[in-house]
Amino acid sequence: MRMDAMEAAINALKLVVIFGMMIQAVPLLVWLERRGSAFIQHRFGPNRVGPLGLLQLLADAVKFINKEEFVPGKGHRLLFFLAPILAMMPGALAVLAIPFSTPIEIAAFDFAGSTWGPYLLKVQGADIPLGIIYIFGVSSLATYPLLLAGWGSSNKFSLMGALRASAQMISYELAMGLAVVGVMIIYGTFYLNEMIDMQQGPMNFMFMGKEVIFPYLPNWGIFYQPLGFLLFLVCSYAEANRLPFDLPEAEGELVAGYHTEYGGFKMLMFFIGEYGHMIVSSSVVIIFYFGGYLIPFLSTEDLRQLLTGFVGEGAMLSLATSLVYLLSFIIKLVIFLWVFIWVRWSLPRFRYDQLMDLGWKTMLPWGLLNTFVTMLLVYLAHG
Amino acid sequence: MTSTVLFYLLQFLILASALGVVLIPNPIYCALMLAVSMIGISALFFSLEAYFVAGVQLIVYAGAVMVLFVMVIMLFNLKNEVVAFSKGLLSKVLKVSLSVLIFALIASSLSMSFADLNSSQLQPYESAMRSVKELSALLFTKYIFAFEAISILLILVVVGAVSLARAKGGTHASDK
Repeated sequence: MRMDAMEAAINALKLVVIFGMMIQAVPLLVWLERRGSAFIQHRFGPNRVGPLGLLQLLADAVKFINKEEFVPGKGHRLLFFLAPILAMMPGALAVLAIPFSTPIEIAAFDFAGSTWGPYLLKVQGADIPLGIIYIFGVSSLATYPLLLAGWGSSNKFSLMGALRASAQMISYELAMGLAVVGVMIIYGTFYLNEMIDMQQGPMNFMFMGKEVIFPYLPNWGIFYQPLGFLLFLVCSYAEANRLPFDLPEAEGELVAGYHTEYGGFKMLMFFIGEYGHMIVSSSVVIIFYFGGYLIPFLSTEDLRQLLTGFVGEGAMLSLATSLVYLLSFIIKLVIFLWVFIWVRWSLPRFRYDQLMDLGWKTMLPWGLLNTFVTMLLVYLAHG
Repeated sequence: MTSTVLFYLLQFLILASALGVVLIPNPIYCALMLAVSMIGISALFFSLEAYFVAGVQLIVYAGAVMVLFVMVIMLFNLKNEVVAFSKGLLSKVLKVSLSVLIFALIASSLSMSFADLNSSQLQPYESAMRSVKELSALLFTKYIFAFEAISILLILVVVGAVSLARAKGGTHASDK
């Protein structure tokens, strides 16, 4: 696949825009988290600065930037500064592989004395082959920043938090992997775009050589993998180190866990990493189990026909389709992010032994069972 | 052109971090260097379009095995043992002979596996999915015995480690 200068420039710009989108979502999520928690606990939350307290985000950012630069006297300076930078990277890298919408077609045009195009712009950082493997590979590196922060701070509480975080993430990665295996068996592909395409239309599948159709349900993954969905969701909460799995930063016992010694913008970078993780796992849940950017009961053909009435044929049509799908993806994403926040302010924290028991003695066997049953059913359906 | 530059940059990164593993005395930095080198190897696989191997390298080695190494080193603060382990003529002889042995093993197995292979036989797969399917078919048919043998070996090692730790009192043993 050869790229000319224009396409390369657009792709580079796209990477910047997607990274910027992820970073910009974080203050909004912090606002949603604070207002949402206040709503759940019958408080007001930040409502003084600007309309609905929205300018509080700006005030917070100014505060974070102006805070004192602090390094613990006996800390490891290099690791201490490296940890927050690395904390942002797994989320930012994984978000690149997520398809947000259908590609935009651009017909050939004249610009600066030569003809360019035609182009097919994907609303996705990079269409990486085997997207799932890439996303999980990059996300599995998220443990290092926490370990580095814990060690670099030279603080008992930080180290305890970091060790808890890494043990927890490794334990839950297994069950998560098994849930993903179920998804891969169902779709038979590693490509995220192909997975979304397969979830078009009403629910239909082959069983014992006959085709079964449920016209009142969309063809979404959750109806094929309900147990897998539950396992995946719980594991993604555990991987993001949020309540009910926030043992690494349990403030009652560990002050603030691995980021005890961090303040100002460095701490904000840890937050960006955590919210980036939330965005990535919500997107992956949507793609695996909720049809990605697709709209239920409305096929792409119908949508295109509907939009032709407004914008006509050609490039404008593909742009409008893409925008509608992007909106659909964002609505689903916001719903799942809200569920993340809702769960955080509704459930109490686990005890550490309960956490490990849940991971190894409950989730792992159920994950294995899910894989086995899925294999059996797929074999029956194809046989 | 860019892929060649990328290849040499990654080679440099992998070799430099691998040297760092050997030359840096602090065990924490050693383990982190090893992690960097594994990430570099994964990036190399990625640039050679072996996406599945690259991902597995990241998930298994960099994401799980090395994290456990770093965690254990942090738990046991190994600083004092570095000096004790590295001194003495006997340990030097042992170290050199062991490294020569391992090098010979790797070199001979590499040369043996490349002996009956010429590059005209190597065809790139038309898609990444296809290569994964080929790989799994090979793993579960031709190399099934080696695959299962390795998994049995791993289970043995895990059980052995647990029983050794249990015999010495497990996690509740007092530090003397």
